[in-house]
Amino acid sequence: MKKSRSVLMIATASITAVMLAGCSGGGGAEGGDSGGGSGGGSDEKVTVAFVPKLQGVPYFEAMNAGAQRAAEELGNIEWLYQGPTTADAAAQADVVRSFIQQQVDVLIVAPNDPDSLAPLLKEAQDAGIHVGTSDTDAPNSVREVFVNQATAEGIAKQVIDSLAKAMGEAGEYAIVSCGETAENLNSWIDAEKAYQSEAYPDMTLVEVGFSGEDPAANAQMATDFMNANPNLTGLVGQCTTSAVGVAQAVRDAGAIGKVFSVGVGTPQSMLPYLEDKSSSASILWDVEEFGYLTAWAGLQLGLGNSFEATNNVSKKLPSVEYVEADKMLILGPALEITVDNAGDFDY
Amino acid sequence: MTTDIQNSPEHAPSPRTQPGGRVLPRAISGQELVLIGVLIVLWVLLGVFTPAFLQPQSIQPLLANVAPIAMIGVGMTIIIITAGIDISVAGMVMVCAVVVAKLLAEAQMPLPVSILAGIVVGGLLGLVNGLLIAIGRVHPIIITFGTANIFLFLGLRIFDSKVVNGIPSSIAVLGRGEGGRLLGVPISFIITMIIVAIAWWYLRYTAGGRHFYALGSDSNAAALAGIRVRRRTILAYLVTGLLVGLASCIVIANGTQSLAPTVGRGIELQVIAAVVIGGTSILGGRGSVLGTVLGAILVQTVSSGVIQLGWPSQLANLFVGVAIIIAVGADLVQQRLRRKA
Repeated sequence: MKKSRSVLMIATASITAVMLAGCSGGGGAEGGDSGGGSGGGSDEKVTVAFVPKLQGVPYFEAMNAGAQRAAEELGNIEWLYQGPTTADAAAQADVVRSFIQQQVDVLIVAPNDPDSLAPLLKEAQDAGIHVGTSDTDAPNSVREVFVNQATAEGIAKQVIDSLAKAMGEAGEYAIVSCGETAENLNSWIDAEKAYQSEAYPDMTLVEVGFSGEDPAANAQMATDFMNANPNLTGLVGQCTTSAVGVAQAVRDAGAIGKVFSVGVGTPQSMLPYLEDKSSSASILWDVEEFGYLTAWAGLQLGLGNSFEATNNVSKKLPSVEYVEADKMLILGPALEITVDNAGDFDY
Repeated sequence: MTTDIQNSPEHAPSPRTQPGGRVLPRAISGQELVLIGVLIVLWVLLGVFTPAFLQPQSIQPLLANVAPIAMIGVGMTIIIITAGIDISVAGMVMVCAVVVAKLLAEAQMPLPVSILAGIVVGGLLGLVNGLLIAIGRVHPIIITFGTANIFLFLGLRIFDSKVVNGIPSSIAVLGRGEGGRLLGVPISFIITMIIVAIAWWYLRYTAGGRHFYALGSDSNAAALAGIRVRRRTILAYLVTGLLVGLASCIVIANGTQSLAPTVGRGIELQVIAAVVIGGTSILGGRGSVLGTVLGAILVQTVSSGVIQLGWPSQLANLFVGVAIIIAVGADLVQQRLRRKA
């Protein structure tokens, strides 16, 4: 009796532990090769550390590739890239703390949970580190710049325009989103609601759901939405996993041509779905250029330069807009990726 | 691939445990009957209150989603019957899935070869668990906690920080779509049910199967009775590994044509939830794979049902949590009553 109870307690404790550990695994361990970063200041190299929401997904890997190109071309950046292995605020905080301890010059984060990150950014700033956000903002923080891929309105407009074109500007649609606390996804959803009700009054948003970054769970949620709403003709996959997930659900249900999907997905993963029309379009921006811009912005912070109203960043980014009031750099308008141009991107 | 359980190496029990006047528990336990009842009530209610819950287009993907959970659940049931646990299955799924996906998409291997490779890799990982637990004699939760992290590391290394794109549609035969059905039933679910049937028969009617229960009730007594405790333990984790290998292929097929490193995350908790809700005692010695399948169906019914009713999806977590507490509570109460009697 006594033994069995203690076994049960161990079991409960360990399951909890594995949940927590699974979230933070690898956070600090892989940072080893970036240890030399702190010495960068002496030869006027600015150490810019970027913490993505999640490591190993194509989106952030493409950003990393673009930033590395910036580091090569611009010369005076030491670029560090390290993220959590789960899209989890606590795991991400561990990585952020390790960069603070390494005393990098500039720290840029794509926060999983903006509110819980804000005090950490303050901590970094107190330690003399310049802080910024990229991809997702932490609006109530001390960040000095937010590098925005596109305004929420810009993305929302393109998503809704593409969806409206596919479903004939009328009918019921649903949104399958991922993390419930992702600031950027939620701001896009709000902007989509606002733009759609104004521009396409005959369309109706019937459901918004959150099913994490698991394509099978995203697909199942899309399937449930289709079953719960027999008149549904549109689906939006709001993040890179659910963009593919909703398209897979349309394909599996044999509903190609009856239900139309659009999503915020990476070109290579969307290509087979664009080809069989289970996805009508993918809305994205040039992620590598976005990484380039993020690295460039980090360099400016490190050098103490201020941003102009329009900035000549590179040949491909000749006029990047800066909104002084929001301390925000904007990459540019959203891209519509279709079967015709998806092959042009190698991520 | 479904005969691994049957062809287990050690089939000749010690003479003392020859079948004779054995008393078997009832074919269907009380908790399983309760689960069947709950499921019927839920399905009828959902059929009434949602437009399409009982339609094929809703039931088919539901069963396809149940398949990998229930398949791994068969192995987990055996492990938990021996009073063990395996929390490394998520890491195992990740390793097996990325190996299969890469073989299919990058090495262009045929589907059967890739699936077989997945099963072999799963078997190896399961064997590692089994050997460490049987020889090290450390509580399985500690060992598999360690291997879970090692497997995750291994999986991430094989992924190499990239998503595997372009998984060929040949794997759709195990998927949720039209191409993955036989007479309207998902093939993955049919395979799962065949494995469940074999495991149910083996655990109930063979001496080898009953040894797992003996081991879980009291491993010292089982050893004294001549049961080869180590071999049984290794076998339980090996079988689980093999099943994880096969289930990983279904996980890929249920996903998309791209495989991201998030694959498998949290699946160990879904599997353990199905096993516990299915009435298998977390203390060992009692349980059945039939209950596990019912538990897996219940969990998926709740999460799909909540969405199809238009309720917030977080409610599914609440309901599953309550079901686990009730199931474990009922088990402990039973245990206590039995001791008093």
